[in-house]
Amino acid sequence: MAMAAGGLISLPAWASNWTAETVGLTHNYLSSSQDELLANIAETIIPATDTPSAKELKVHQLIQKIVADCYDKPAQELFRNGLDAVDAQAQKTFGKPFREGDVAQRTALLTQFSQSAEPAQKEFYSLVKGLTIRGYLNSEYVMTNLTHYQMVPGYYHGCVPVVAKAVSPTK
Amino acid sequence: MANLNIDANAQNTYDAIVIGSGISGGWAAKELTGKGLRTLVLERGRDVRHVTDYPTTMMQPWEFDHRGQLTKEVKDANPIISKCYAFYEGSQQFFVKDAEHPYIQEKPFDWIRGYQVGGKSLMWARQTQRWSDFDFTGPARDGFAVDWPIRYADLAPWYSYVERFAGITGNKDGLDTLPDGEFLPPHEWNCVEKHFQKQVASKYKDRHVIMGRAAHITKPQPVHLQQGRGQCQHRTICERGCPYGGYFSSNSSTIPWAAKTGKMTLRPDSVVHSIIYDEKLGRATGVRIIDANTKQMKEYYARIIFLNAAALNSNLVLLNSTSNRFPNGLGNDSGVLGKYVAFHNYRAGISAQYDGNLDSTTDGRRPNSPYIPRFRNVHKQETDFLRGYAAGFSAGRSSRSNQEGIGADLKQNLLNPELGGWYVGSHMMGETIPKETNYVALDKAQKDPFGIPQLKISIAYDDNDEKMIKDYQEQMTEMFTAAGFTNIRVRDDHRNPGLDIHEMGGVRMGKDSKTSMLNKWNQLHAVKNVFVTDGSSMTSTSTQNPSLTYMAMSARSVDYAVKAMKKGLV
Ligand SMILES: Cc1cc2nc3c(=O)[nH]c(=O)nc-3n(C[C@H](O)[C@H](O)[C@H](O)COP(=O)(O)OP(=O)(O)OC[C@H]3O[C@@H](n4cnc5c(N)ncnc54)[C@H](O)[C@@H]3O)c2cc1C
Ligand code: SF4
Repeated sequence: MAMAAGGLISLPAWASNWTAETVGLTHNYLSSSQDELLANIAETIIPATDTPSAKELKVHQLIQKIVADCYDKPAQELFRNGLDAVDAQAQKTFGKPFREGDVAQRTALLTQFSQSAEPAQKEFYSLVKGLTIRGYLNSEYVMTNLTHYQMVPGYYHGCVPVVAKAVSPTK
Repeated sequence: MANLNIDANAQNTYDAIVIGSGISGGWAAKELTGKGLRTLVLERGRDVRHVTDYPTTMMQPWEFDHRGQLTKEVKDANPIISKCYAFYEGSQQFFVKDAEHPYIQEKPFDWIRGYQVGGKSLMWARQTQRWSDFDFTGPARDGFAVDWPIRYADLAPWYSYVERFAGITGNKDGLDTLPDGEFLPPHEWNCVEKHFQKQVASKYKDRHVIMGRAAHITKPQPVHLQQGRGQCQHRTICERGCPYGGYFSSNSSTIPWAAKTGKMTLRPDSVVHSIIYDEKLGRATGVRIIDANTKQMKEYYARIIFLNAAALNSNLVLLNSTSNRFPNGLGNDSGVLGKYVAFHNYRAGISAQYDGNLDSTTDGRRPNSPYIPRFRNVHKQETDFLRGYAAGFSAGRSSRSNQEGIGADLKQNLLNPELGGWYVGSHMMGETIPKETNYVALDKAQKDPFGIPQLKISIAYDDNDEKMIKDYQEQMTEMFTAAGFTNIRVRDDHRNPGLDIHEMGGVRMGKDSKTSMLNKWNQLHAVKNVFVTDGSSMTSTSTQNPSLTYMAMSARSVDYAVKAMKKGLV
């Protein structure tokens, strides 16, 4: 049988034809203004530098989907109420919706949430931040271009020297 | 009862019938067809063809809707199967959903099943150790269960036979507790695992840390290439199905091999209801199935029948095969059918950290890990519990990033994780004792969606298990401490029986037909043309993973059955 030992096997066509579109359908879980707000929060947590932001990588859509599909009611409520609270707080501190705040204002507001005496605010922020980080690190862009994920490493080496790593290109 | 469609024509008649296409049934099918028998393989689940029916196998992490996480809907609907570590977004298609195949838990029992062509061979963790004579002579020596009718020597050549075909990686370690096999090159150790191995070897002469033996092709041999299987590529996402055939499954190996003979007819969506016993002939003549799609009942006939529906389901089929001659289940003259069920105990674990070897790390992934064979009560009874436990062991190095802060700094930190220290961990694999009080039976009132009585499961841990858990925790703590590991934490997750997925017994082998169901050829004492070669036939459970033993027994039993058939004995 003609088959290379090194795994050079021809796979059926469908196997390499998966795209994000065929797999990920987006739920209309949040209103479009809440969706935009979430995108802006994600972008504040992970902004564009010389590489894309969480918003550009559509991490907010993943967050929505995971909250809608995997979390229970109380967490979902915490999530929605938290979004409303962010905008309310933005009106209070800088007199406009979060979206119109500048980076410093947005950052200050979220930092305030992270240290809030109100448990709901704190929990909301840690939920969104955690999912933003997870969505960002597991995005196609980051995994292929920045962290160089290999689906098929083909080996295991048990004892390799730790090398001083070059710092990733982001600033 | 559903429409009875008895057309005993040649079309429905085969030389042999195999019930179930999982690890043991796949082997029965391969051996029977290989010996020229026209064989019908009946499988209750849908067909799953190698590669083409592995829908998630090539998906990248970011392509999963929920990045691997189970949805609330799935979890809520499946409280039992959701407990299985291997059940996640990419593998859920291969597991039985709780509501679809109900059973009755007289005592809590997490029954983990895969109903499809290939059975659980698609999702298993592929650990494959031979059992030793300490296992086969255990009951006779310790006085639990009944004596096995076979010894290691009866199985040894068959272990070799199935190992060569399946492809088993391992190291020849020369241990009497864990006989060596026909191995492909072993997987690599990492430095901390090596360190632990050396420490244990220097402190205990009877304890060993070895590289796990697993059904992975680390170096393909001609027989593997002939199967269309190639070298394992270390993806470690095996439970989605492996496109390279890098690990052994019925789907990649035995079933297509059987198909190539032209002698196999595979009939998926065929739920076996019972085995038909002819009182005049004094033998089983065939099998009744319910077509899963049409719900019609049909009959198929054959000279010999191999029952390989997985341990508890084989009990169910026999219990449901009643006749005037066998009112309590086929072959059940002894009354032991369904009883003396046992399992493995995976409740306890231990974890720790290691502050040495910080100048080295690992690279790549390994679908296997080291293993500590049983060392308790081996040569003599030395503790206050019967039998012993084996243990898994592994070490790895974590990489963590600072997730504090917000904005560009956070992003910078996320993309530049720091290597953490080494962590080490182990879990126990304890042998439980087969007892009459651990049993399965048919429920009198409740039926499954096919009109078949539901299985009632009544299985629990006992005092022996509690003592063993404590001993494992103590001994491992001692070994970890000796190796210089720190921050040692032991656990007992109090999981229900069943979650180890190594349920065995109920149709046990034995020398005496008064106290067992099967003879030394896995043949029903009372119905000579019915053979049972899955986990239900185990007299006791050993501490090793069981599936390799099911494979060897299936091949051995078919060899006997076909010879006996030719001599007119069955
Ligand atoms: C996550 C996981 C990890 C595991 N890890 C290991 C491991 O490392 N090492 C090890 O040795 N074992 C392991 N196992 C256990 C191993 O999978 C089983 O021991 C093995 O598959 C049993 O083989 P079997 O042929 O008895 O049953 P299965 O492989 O389950 O096959 C039984 C088949 O029979 C079919 N069937 C059932 N009832 C009927 C009926 N009435 N009519 C028709 N068909 C029927 C089923 O649909 C199924 O396809 C693991 C299992 C799982 C799920
Ligand atoms: S680890 Fe090996 S067997 Fe498992 S999926 Fe990867 S290539 Fe296949």
